[in-house]
Amino acid sequence: MELTLLFLPLLASIISGFFGKYIGDRNSEIVTSLFVSISSILSLFIFYNVISEGYENNVVIASWINSGSLNVNWSIKIDALSSVMLVVVTLISSLVHIYSIGYMSHDPHKPRFMAYLSLFTFAMLTLVTSDNFLQLFFGWEGVGLCSYFLIGFWFKKDSANAAAIKAFIVNRVGDFGFALGIFLIFYLFGTVNYNEVFLLIPKTLDQDIYFLGINLKSIDLICILLFMGAMGKSAQFLLHTWLPDAMEGPIPVSALIHAATMVTAGVFLVVRCSPIFEYSQIALNIICIVGMTTAFFAATVALVQNDIKKIIAYSTCSQLGYMFFAAGIGAYNVAIFHLFTHAFFKALLFLGAGSVIHSLNNEQDIRKMGGIWRKLPYSWGLMIIGTLALTGFPFFSGFYSKEAIIEFAYLKGNTLGYYVVVIGIFTALLTAIYSWRLVFKTFHGTYENKELKINSIHESPYVMLVPLIVLAIGSIFAGFFFKELFIGQYASNNFWSDSIKFLSPISTDHPPLWIVYFTPVIVVLSIPIAYYLFVKNKDITNWLVNENKPLYNFLINKWYFDELYEYLFVRTFKRIGIFFWKNIDLKTIDRFGPDGISNLIKKLSIRAVKFQSGYIYQYAFIMLLGFSALLTYLIII
Amino acid sequence: MIAHSIFFYTFAFVAIVAAIMVTVSKNTVHSVFFLILDFISVSCLFIMIGAEFLGMMMLIVYVGAVAVLFLFVVMMLNVAQQNNPLINSAEDFSHIPVGLIISLIIFFELIIVIGGWKFKPDLVTSVSLLVDQNVTNTHSIGSVLYTDYIHVFQLSGMILLVAMIGAIVLTFRYRPGLKRQSYFDQISRERVDAVQLIDAESNKGVKIDD
Amino acid sequence: MIDIGLGHYLTLSAIIFTIGIVGIFLNRKNVIVILMSIELILLAVNINFVSFSIFLNDLTGQIFALFILTVAAAEAAIGLAIIVVYYRNSGTIRVEEIDKLKG
Repeated sequence: MELTLLFLPLLASIISGFFGKYIGDRNSEIVTSLFVSISSILSLFIFYNVISEGYENNVVIASWINSGSLNVNWSIKIDALSSVMLVVVTLISSLVHIYSIGYMSHDPHKPRFMAYLSLFTFAMLTLVTSDNFLQLFFGWEGVGLCSYFLIGFWFKKDSANAAAIKAFIVNRVGDFGFALGIFLIFYLFGTVNYNEVFLLIPKTLDQDIYFLGINLKSIDLICILLFMGAMGKSAQFLLHTWLPDAMEGPIPVSALIHAATMVTAGVFLVVRCSPIFEYSQIALNIICIVGMTTAFFAATVALVQNDIKKIIAYSTCSQLGYMFFAAGIGAYNVAIFHLFTHAFFKALLFLGAGSVIHSLNNEQDIRKMGGIWRKLPYSWGLMIIGTLALTGFPFFSGFYSKEAIIEFAYLKGNTLGYYVVVIGIFTALLTAIYSWRLVFKTFHGTYENKELKINSIHESPYVMLVPLIVLAIGSIFAGFFFKELFIGQYASNNFWSDSIKFLSPISTDHPPLWIVYFTPVIVVLSIPIAYYLFVKNKDITNWLVNENKPLYNFLINKWYFDELYEYLFVRTFKRIGIFFWKNIDLKTIDRFGPDGISNLIKKLSIRAVKFQSGYIYQYAFIMLLGFSALLTYLIII
Repeated sequence: MIAHSIFFYTFAFVAIVAAIMVTVSKNTVHSVFFLILDFISVSCLFIMIGAEFLGMMMLIVYVGAVAVLFLFVVMMLNVAQQNNPLINSAEDFSHIPVGLIISLIIFFELIIVIGGWKFKPDLVTSVSLLVDQNVTNTHSIGSVLYTDYIHVFQLSGMILLVAMIGAIVLTFRYRPGLKRQSYFDQISRERVDAVQLIDAESNKGVKIDD
Repeated sequence: MIDIGLGHYLTLSAIIFTIGIVGIFLNRKNVIVILMSIELILLAVNINFVSFSIFLNDLTGQIFALFILTVAAAEAAIGLAIIVVYYRNSGTIRVEEIDKLKG
């Protein structure tokens, strides 16, 4: 069953990718969606098994490397953590496939798109079901590659190509750290399989390692390096620049990759390696700080963005920050729980935004929308549900997971925990404000679009709405139903068992009531405040913008990170690259290698050709010369 | 002895001069004539030295067949009209000195043999075909050719056959429109194709369809 | 000088041989002269064989000279046939214009 689950998406991708021309667009859509849906049903089945009877399995498909002490297998490891991820990935992926049937209906390259989506699903599944770091890295790179394909899907647009390369390269920076981490693990432990590494970790707590001139504990170094990979993949604070530009790809891509699955691979990595991270307090603190900063930073930038997709992208960035600082304070199960609920409502938001964009003829600027809630009732209702879940409105799914993060942070007790609480609550406020800003500016107020007549807007087809409805159900109920399972009192023993390691058992206290009620109250209050600010009385926002122009510019230019990186890194590397290309590649290697040797041979052969004049008497003369030389030799010797 | 040497020097001189003229003369037909003269003088030399069968053979075969063949071809190809003046102002003579030097080298190497040459000590006993002095040259050659050298003899016959076939194959031109007989077709004709019995009415012709 | 010995015949043979060789590559006239030079070479070899045969009282030389004769005739026939066909195809037998092997 696990084999089917893993290989159906790959099969679908191959069929649609190579034979899409022959079987037709509609058939390739059906094949891919069907196969991935079957995978999602199987994953639900496995998840049920894990919940009910603690099903655990490690199916070894084949032996990959068997060299010396390095033994690595291709395998499918099913335990609580990977089964949760399986459900998330396959469910969201199948819904996105079905949605894409409707959204990409005008696109001429449907089979290619479906093939890439399925290939991505396969790579992500490989990532989450691996039992060793090497297969994880294979899946990691695979999803990076598919992300490149999908972001640059409309490859005729220059901006799409540039964005795809940017995503790939920034990911690469993170992957560099990740690879170093894996090398270090192999160097220290002689193996890259999870169970063996995790067993050996407690024995190496005191080991030091000399790295770049500093003496570090080896555990700390491993964790920092692994976290670098997670930073790149999950667009955390310093390696976040690719995520907003990744919105160049079609909306289903954003929903699948940049909301629910690829960007959560970083969180998955940290949680999967919890046995390692638990022992390194420094690394956990770093994760916490980076996560907090990301959450805060992304929320501030999202306040002033005008592109609907970019707002939701920064929102993703911010929520990932939440997940990371949940992991940083040791509450791994809460991080996974937030990942689980976030997948639902973020995908819902993206796909809903896609529905709006589709109806408005590919208009993405929210300043050019407004007052269309009567025309697009379903999209409006579903976006409201998604926003309620995102902001953490009581009893929707986001509420439970966000609340849990803040509560656990408070219960941690140290100063870092208190900082986390403050920033978490403030960021929740910002989240609420920008989310409702999005909804109100898009659906309420006056219609601002000059090009499109409001009467020609119509609701999206059912094939796009049905996945949205499924996601909406998940957004509403997933939190409530799974709360006990993921973060309840006995969760760490029953459900998670060995897949997550907790050095100290999860605290079972309850924080004071004022903390518990503070956030929901703010969130609920933010709705009328946002309504007032963005619909009724826009002057206040205009006044705020005009008074604080520098701050506004700072925020709308994403804290000038792109410019900073351009100045620091991009120019230098570009110059180095050009130098290497012109001088070394062209002048040196090509001159002595292909061009040099081939030219030499050409010159020699031109000279040699002169021997063949075609005149027989010259040939005879040469023969005679040879003959006389031979004769002389024989006579003299 | 003196007669011997006078004859030898005469014939030798003629042979050498004729050989030079073969390569040098302007008219190709003259070249062929000088070649014939060369053959004749060498054949006389052979007769003088005692190998008269071979000398006669050379006259008959070389002069009578090969040289005549040369003449045929020369006349067929209009070569005579393509002769050039000996000294052509536009011609390049730079190759001549080098060639002459190389040929002189070869000549001297061939001559060195005579100076540094020694008989094998037991050469006389290693003679394989002793000449019986009482028998004519022709007789002695004949008594050996068909017995000891019969295989080589037959093989040389085969060579000549192959040469003949080869020459025909090379130069054969199929002329369309020539009336030829194909006796295979003639013999393999069936009665059924050839004869047709027709009841003819009197005073009416018979229609023959081809 | 008066006494004719083997050496004189061999010298004669060497001279004719050299002249034949010279004729091959020193002529710029036509290809038939090349064939005639080849006949000269074969003739020189014949003289060599026969003179050895007479002076060593050994018939082998003459027998072999007979066969050389045969082969020379055959080769002259084929060579001339080739020249005839070549002339048919390219219209000339001047040595300078035969350079179809030019690489």
